[in-house]
Amino acid sequence: MSSRFPAPAAAAAEPALPARPRQRFRLSRIGAGATPYVLLLPATLVIAAVLGYPLYFMVRLSFERYGLFQLIRHAGVWVGTQNYASIFHDSTFWHVVLRTLAFTAVAVSLTMVIGTLIALLMAQLGRGMSLLLNVGLIFVWATPVVVAIDIWYWMVDFEFGVVNWLLTYLHLGDFNHHDWFANAWTGWGIITLLVVWGAIPFVAITVYAALTQVPRELVEAASIDGAHAWRVFRDVMVPVLKPIFIILTSLSIIWDFQVFNQIWILRDEQPSPEYWSMAVYAYHTSFQTSEYGLGSAIAIVMVAIMLVVSFVYIRQMVKIGEAA
Amino acid sequence: MKLRIIAAVVLAAALATAASTATGGTKRATADKVTVWVMTDAQNGWPGAISAANAAFAKQHPGVDVDIQYQSWNSLLAKFDAALAANDAPDVIELGNTMTTKYMAAGAFSAIKAKNYPNSSTWLSGLKASCTYGGKLYCVPYYAGARAVIYRKDLYGSVGVKSPPTTWGQFLAVNAKLKKKYGKNRNFSAFYQPGQNWYAAMSFVADYGGQIAVQKGGKWKGTLDTPQAIKALTVYKSMVRKYSRASKTQDEAHPFPSIPFAKGRAGAFLGNGWEWPYVFDKTGGGAPKSFAKRMGAYPLPSHIKGRYTPTFLGGSILGIPISAKHKSLGADWIKGFTGTAAERQIAKAGNIPNTTKLANVNKSNPALAPFANAAKYSWFIPTALNWANVENAKVLKNMCTAILTNKKSVRAATQSASKQITKILNAKP
Repeated sequence: MSSRFPAPAAAAAEPALPARPRQRFRLSRIGAGATPYVLLLPATLVIAAVLGYPLYFMVRLSFERYGLFQLIRHAGVWVGTQNYASIFHDSTFWHVVLRTLAFTAVAVSLTMVIGTLIALLMAQLGRGMSLLLNVGLIFVWATPVVVAIDIWYWMVDFEFGVVNWLLTYLHLGDFNHHDWFANAWTGWGIITLLVVWGAIPFVAITVYAALTQVPRELVEAASIDGAHAWRVFRDVMVPVLKPIFIILTSLSIIWDFQVFNQIWILRDEQPSPEYWSMAVYAYHTSFQTSEYGLGSAIAIVMVAIMLVVSFVYIRQMVKIGEAA
Repeated sequence: MKLRIIAAVVLAAALATAASTATGGTKRATADKVTVWVMTDAQNGWPGAISAANAAFAKQHPGVDVDIQYQSWNSLLAKFDAALAANDAPDVIELGNTMTTKYMAAGAFSAIKAKNYPNSSTWLSGLKASCTYGGKLYCVPYYAGARAVIYRKDLYGSVGVKSPPTTWGQFLAVNAKLKKKYGKNRNFSAFYQPGQNWYAAMSFVADYGGQIAVQKGGKWKGTLDTPQAIKALTVYKSMVRKYSRASKTQDEAHPFPSIPFAKGRAGAFLGNGWEWPYVFDKTGGGAPKSFAKRMGAYPLPSHIKGRYTPTFLGGSILGIPISAKHKSLGADWIKGFTGTAAERQIAKAGNIPNTTKLANVNKSNPALAPFANAAKYSWFIPTALNWANVENAKVLKNMCTAILTNKKSVRAATQSASKQITKILNAKP
């Protein structure tokens, strides 16, 4: 039995199975073409239930006044676009959006650059070192997020943290009782470092796999012709890797824009306003001021921004699918 | 072909049923059980009272499971809201007494009758008041706490202070002496005061006659920018910056001051009664029992001679959410946990029990008597409907950090905080 299902666009053009001489029933032809969809059905239903209903509910909430009083009675009060008007007129909201965009730009750039550098490094290493590096990356990737954040929390702790002790011990300055989060810049630096550290393995390993698609002969030809490493990378590798870069960047933007855990746990589940990202702000508005309508409106704005980025990602995926 | 289609349909149906039973698994029929949400304070401080309550409950309802889920203060309300929305509320929930007004007003609790609960005629009036709304009772007082200074008797002795300070001047003097003698140790604080411990800061405000907010004609106004409050916070800021090396951006639970205290990093700290035994707890300070010989406690002196700086009369209550599935089981568990036997254990752990009948339990305990004494002068938060939102928005915590890190002047910080408080307290619920 054939185990290759063509991309959906192609399925409409030709039957999924080669027509066999004994096949005379039209029903079987249509049925055969429908097989992939029938198999997709359970997963689609589950996704619709798990994601679809909450999404619908959240959109509805964003047009309602839903405070603690309404929550207990499970009945919101329709207020139209008032929630959106409130948040768009709130200067805190715009600060949070700008801060989140800036953080995402920095984190994604660092992730992509360092991840790609590590992938290029892995391609040059011998078997032993390459294995060591791979195992290191996998360990980082495999550590549950909350566990990893907790470890970082204790490393940069004010009173008992090892980072402060180590920096002082190495005479890199006086870091005794250094509060990394007293200054928002160093605080965000730590958060960015943690997010990038957690994101690099995925990028590095994916780019490393993609590098195997770069034709060796082209690279060798280019170096023989006198091109140095950067030109080889820019002119030979990047064109081949471009689809992967687009996919990884889109995914990274989507993930980093929604950062919540790192900020939440590093700040003892109560980050102050200068540490609010959009996800934290939506959560704070919903659960800490009991304004679920406003919080939903903020979340919907997040989704809208993400949809734009997702469009780029999906378009790239479809392009690859069609090319295959 | 036909076979393939049949196989596909059967597979699809099988997966669909698997998916639906996976999500439906939580609706499995459960035997009667009672779900209790109490804070980790009970887990850390008075686990004996929990076991006593469970034992009493087991006698009354043999075979009924008691599911105690310990909560942390920072995530409690979010979890409670989510549970209320999902109709999955616990049968018993502990709330801080500053949070109850908002939830009672929103109808989160079912009304109860005081006479059904033990010692209700002698309940602490302050706690009973936090449980009353619109003339009806909605929850049961659990315990109260006052803060006093826990200090190193031996360190005080080494700088010539043989008895605890009774005036503000003496308090500052001993701290200055400690800083002079031990301050070279970069980890040592004469007085360990976490920056976001707003209870301490507001205690000073109360001592100087200030208030967080006042209600005039139905409208609330934040009053931390009055001259009295500004003076109080200026004195507080000066003391903390001089004598404390604790973090200015973290609160009194991160870390619990008893931990650095047990490790010799503090000459004294302002703590609840239960933080005394927490110095020895293995999840707390981990100090050996012999360390107790070097410890003592005294109420924080006021700047007014002969008085103490008012302490925040914190406390917790136990309520039965309106959508709880086993209300009578919850009520029975509460009766066991707030009965005389359990409350005696809670008091012995360093707290003020919910009934005046047990007020003298710690009288002869030199370690814990000062905490009961400190409660003579106390203050409480404004009894506004939306007060919980002020705490959730961390208005006072952020104000303390801004003041103590010098990011804002005391005047600017208090003005900004007062504006926020006014806005939050007057918002429509």
